[in-house]
Amino acid sequence: MVKVTEAPEMYTGEGYGLTRLEKIVGLARANSIWPLPFATSCCGIEFMATMGATYDLGRFGAERLSFSPRQADLLMVMGTISKKMGPVLKQVYIQMAEPKWVIAVGACASSGGIFDTYSVLQGIDKVIPVDVYVPGCPPPPEAILDGIIKIQELIKTESFRRRESEEYQKLLTSYGIE
Amino acid sequence: MSDKVENGLIESLLKEQFGDAIRSVEESYGMLDIVVKREKIIEIITWLRDSSLLSFNFLTSLCGMHFPDNKGEELGVVYHMHSFANNKRIRLHILFSISDPVVPTVTGLYRTANWMERETFDFFGIKFTGHPDLRRILNMEDMQYHPLLKQYPLEDGTRTDKEDKYFGR
Amino acid sequence: METEVVNSQLIDYAAIFVQFVVAAGFVLTTIYFAQKIGPKHKSVKKFESFECGLDSIGNARLPFSVKYFLVAILFVLFDVEVIFFYPWAVNFRELGESGFVKMLAFIAPLLLGYFYIIKKGALKWE
Repeated sequence: MVKVTEAPEMYTGEGYGLTRLEKIVGLARANSIWPLPFATSCCGIEFMATMGATYDLGRFGAERLSFSPRQADLLMVMGTISKKMGPVLKQVYIQMAEPKWVIAVGACASSGGIFDTYSVLQGIDKVIPVDVYVPGCPPPPEAILDGIIKIQELIKTESFRRRESEEYQKLLTSYGIE
Repeated sequence: MSDKVENGLIESLLKEQFGDAIRSVEESYGMLDIVVKREKIIEIITWLRDSSLLSFNFLTSLCGMHFPDNKGEELGVVYHMHSFANNKRIRLHILFSISDPVVPTVTGLYRTANWMERETFDFFGIKFTGHPDLRRILNMEDMQYHPLLKQYPLEDGTRTDKEDKYFGR
Repeated sequence: METEVVNSQLIDYAAIFVQFVVAAGFVLTTIYFAQKIGPKHKSVKKFESFECGLDSIGNARLPFSVKYFLVAILFVLFDVEVIFFYPWAVNFRELGESGFVKMLAFIAPLLLGYFYIIKKGALKWE
């Protein structure tokens, strides 16, 4: 019997288990993330290594990548985003289906990195809300996997009503995303 | 071509044809570095391109320069040209004042100059008369200044969390 | 040696029917509840056509060349003809001479049509 993932805390008995729906849905969502690799620079190459056989992102369920935001849950921004690219990134984020998460991989996506210049966006959190930051220049694949695991923890513990809560709405309006 | 086209030959042919429009000639890295007058640049490039002996049929690159210490001739444009038949490269410079940043366009001679001149305009503010579509290409359209001029800093002006003293400024 | 004939009634296949209902039911239930209790967000920008983050210009509905349609429709026609050849090929010996003549009678008008297509240049790409 192959153990695929940890079961959530359940009240078990003979042939049944009792748990909250949020936990089951969280488990399902966390173990089948469909990422959108928004790979711009060197961190994109590290991501390619992460998807390869040695570090295998597929074993976390994130095997199916898509470049269409309509079919993705996780926007992985990997690489330097210039100021001209900012609105494009924002539009891609807006067009993703709910629920969606964002991971900023690398120093350039987190804060502009070494490129403190007139043309580089100093961190994608200037245009979209970010859930997890993975520092590094570039981060090794293990660090990217660590970031994905943190995203999985966030997904498992997310409540159903988080996206309708006032705090979240305020966050979105602060970015100008209605 | 039995006789190879040499730098000396190019220099002498140019001086013969254009006389004092050629301001100075140097050689570096095996390539001729020629400073010419801005008014004659189109004629010179056309002649270099159409000459059957020299046939500089390829414009490799075109970019701007800014030397704020050269009073009266701060801005400049460099044209890198390449002759496939003779395997020869050449650099043409024109220099002009920052108060008059206007240069005639070579888009009519080489289509590739279209985007290169847009880049030069974007970063140095040099206007090319006769260009079909002169607007910013790499920076945001609403940028108010021309970034690569030496008076503007490299760093992003909107950062609030960087302490200048840690970065030697 | 007589082979035994087992009388199978419809009731024996009830298990398959139940399995089908469970599978379809699971799919429909999850889709329905995902839409009901899943997070929703409506906005104008979100519903615009996806064009890699840029603003889409113009309409996608343009007239296109007829050559694509011609190739596809003629392929379908002759493919159906080929489908009729397969059982003939399997039973070729049993059908013998008379079968051959009848098949020729079937092919002849289609062959005529094929020559017409070639002459008219319907399959010319440019």
